[in-house]
Amino acid sequence: MSAQPNELATYSAQFERYANALTAAERAPRSVQFSRFLASGFPDKHQEDWRYSDLSRLAEQNYEPDVTTAEVSPIALLPDADALVYINSHLQDAPSTSRWHSDTCELPPPTTGVDALNAAFASGGLRLRLDRGTRLDKPLQVLFVSRADLQASMSHQRHLIELGDQAEATVLLDFSGDGSERLATHFFDVRLGRGARLRLYRIQNEKAGGTLMTRIDAKLSRDAKFEAVTIDLGGGFIRHDLDIALAESGAETTVAGLYAQAKHSHIDNHVRVVHAAAHCTSRMNYRGLVDEKTKAVFNGKVVVQPGAQKTDSEQRIANLLLSRKAEVNAKPDLEIYADDVKCAHGATVGQLDEVALAYLRSRGIAKDTARAMLLRAFALEILDRIEWPALRARIESALHLPSELTVDFEA
Amino acid sequence: MLEINNLHARVEEKEILKGLNLSIKPGEVHAIMGPNGSGKSTLSNVIAGREGYEVTEGSVLFDGKNLLDLEPEIRACEGIFLGFQYPVEIPGVSNMTLLKAAINARRKHQGETEIAPNDFLAWVRDRAKLVKIDPKMLSRGVNEGFSGGEKKRNEILQMLVLQPRLMILDETDSGLDIDALKIVADGINALRGPTRATVLVTHYQRLLDYVQPDYVHVLARGRIVKSGGPELAKELEEKGYGWLEAA
Ligand SMILES: Nc1ncnc2c1ncn2[C@@H]1O[C@H](COP(=O)(O)OP(=O)(O)OP(=O)(O)O)[C@@H](O)[C@H]1O
Ligand SMILES: [Mg+2]
Repeated sequence: MSAQPNELATYSAQFERYANALTAAERAPRSVQFSRFLASGFPDKHQEDWRYSDLSRLAEQNYEPDVTTAEVSPIALLPDADALVYINSHLQDAPSTSRWHSDTCELPPPTTGVDALNAAFASGGLRLRLDRGTRLDKPLQVLFVSRADLQASMSHQRHLIELGDQAEATVLLDFSGDGSERLATHFFDVRLGRGARLRLYRIQNEKAGGTLMTRIDAKLSRDAKFEAVTIDLGGGFIRHDLDIALAESGAETTVAGLYAQAKHSHIDNHVRVVHAAAHCTSRMNYRGLVDEKTKAVFNGKVVVQPGAQKTDSEQRIANLLLSRKAEVNAKPDLEIYADDVKCAHGATVGQLDEVALAYLRSRGIAKDTARAMLLRAFALEILDRIEWPALRARIESALHLPSELTVDFEA
Repeated sequence: MLEINNLHARVEEKEILKGLNLSIKPGEVHAIMGPNGSGKSTLSNVIAGREGYEVTEGSVLFDGKNLLDLEPEIRACEGIFLGFQYPVEIPGVSNMTLLKAAINARRKHQGETEIAPNDFLAWVRDRAKLVKIDPKMLSRGVNEGFSGGEKKRNEILQMLVLQPRLMILDETDSGLDIDALKIVADGINALRGPTRATVLVTHYQRLLDYVQPDYVHVLARGRIVKSGGPELAKELEEKGYGWLEAA
């Protein structure tokens, strides 16, 4: 998988230009990351974690780091929330919330692949740090808008959410874009102190075209609670990694996700929960509506480490194929190294219930409407997890869009 | 109102209806009886327009219109209602959502505006009372977790809410206790009137004690093999179908 000479040449040229503008002290750690990236290259299908999401095509691209700031046009800001808005990684004026932004970022120990590429170029972004016992009184909506630049561009950001003991916050990571040929990577470092509670929404509604990769690494201390809801409504090539470490006893996480794809999209979700301590609870519930000319990959993994007794874990994955040509690779995975645990997992792939459809039609409901009702029913379990009415309303209306969900149903 | 002529229909290459004739006028109640597997549900489904049935010969006219050309939802909007032998459960679509979508589909078809929310609630609440369904159950998924009898009462509720002109009830009386049977019968009788017609598919005389039919037909081997008045049902209850099969 290591890169051939001359491959990645465009990235080397871009990196050189970028690094020249840095001080020597800044440059050193970036160069380490970049050489790790060069050594490993983009992951391809020979790597198990990337089996269905080969990135080798990216090697040929020439993405220029973002320099311009696109115009802000009216954006989907939700009521009753504070907002941070990034357009192509550039922060827009946000006087009240700019304290949650940082121009700089911490770099991880040298890593490989996409993570190394991100670390080599990364600029800062969200930096939400709450002291012990404090609480965000409003949800924080962080918008990542991607817009066409004059040429294909890339942006890489690193973010931090750090909640002190007993601190509480609700954060929305809101990705949307115009589908221009871009490459964006985002890394989120999430650290929850004892008894802290984070409710995190990650919503992606990009147009087909660009490439977006996100990684969320969350680490939970004793009795911390992490509730994540992830929704993918569109997208070109999308890859999400969500890694949750239940590091101390009593930590609890629930992850619920829905992917309802636009045509021609490729959405890959990798969710991994590591039970590293005893008495922790995890719930994973993902549902997919997979249409023609789209590919969905879901990989859920629960690891119960030695000593993590009394682990209580459940993983459920259900997919609905909306066309015979839809493609889905869903895999629940369980690795258990402790004996006193309760772990359940299951995955299903099915089709729209024709009998239910016939029943609704027999009551006078038009076929398209009946299908939309059944799709919504399938998604309901996940939608019910969105405890933010304005956000839920926005997502429901996006799901109802005939162009999103009913157009290709005739197949 | 409904004219069925020489109807032949198949399911998966197997001919089930083999030249069936039936004529129903407004105001009439017809009971259709017959052995298991004789094609009663097939006939009901063909009239309602369910997919999976192939009509190879014959015609079905509803108010003079060729019914077989219409999508099932259009047939429903035109006033045909089928109470299913096995109502399905649809978790995630509440009974209220179904009822509202169904009412509004029909209103739209007739060129009317959507029903006002308050009128809708009142309309449903009153009818739920008639069939003794707790309105709370209606916020659950369609038939979700309903008992067999509750499902059948729910079919009657949908019928009362939608006020069809042609009601086809496929064994709505099967599996009901005495009280529920009475409720279902009351529901059917409540809609009985000079402009509406009813087809009762049943195996038992019991329902016909409460809903007096004008005609009783025996469907066997894909055809109506005998027709008569209410007394035919009593005769069948005593003698079974053997004497007809032999004939
Ligand atoms: N989808 C199907 N595939 C194959 N055969 C079918 C299908 N549906 C019905 N049949 C067959 O058609 C015949 C008639 O079935 P139908 O359900 O109409 O009978 P019925 O008179 O309603 O019987 P019952 O009194 O048991 O309800 C039966 O032999 C049945 O097995
Ligand atoms: Mg039957």
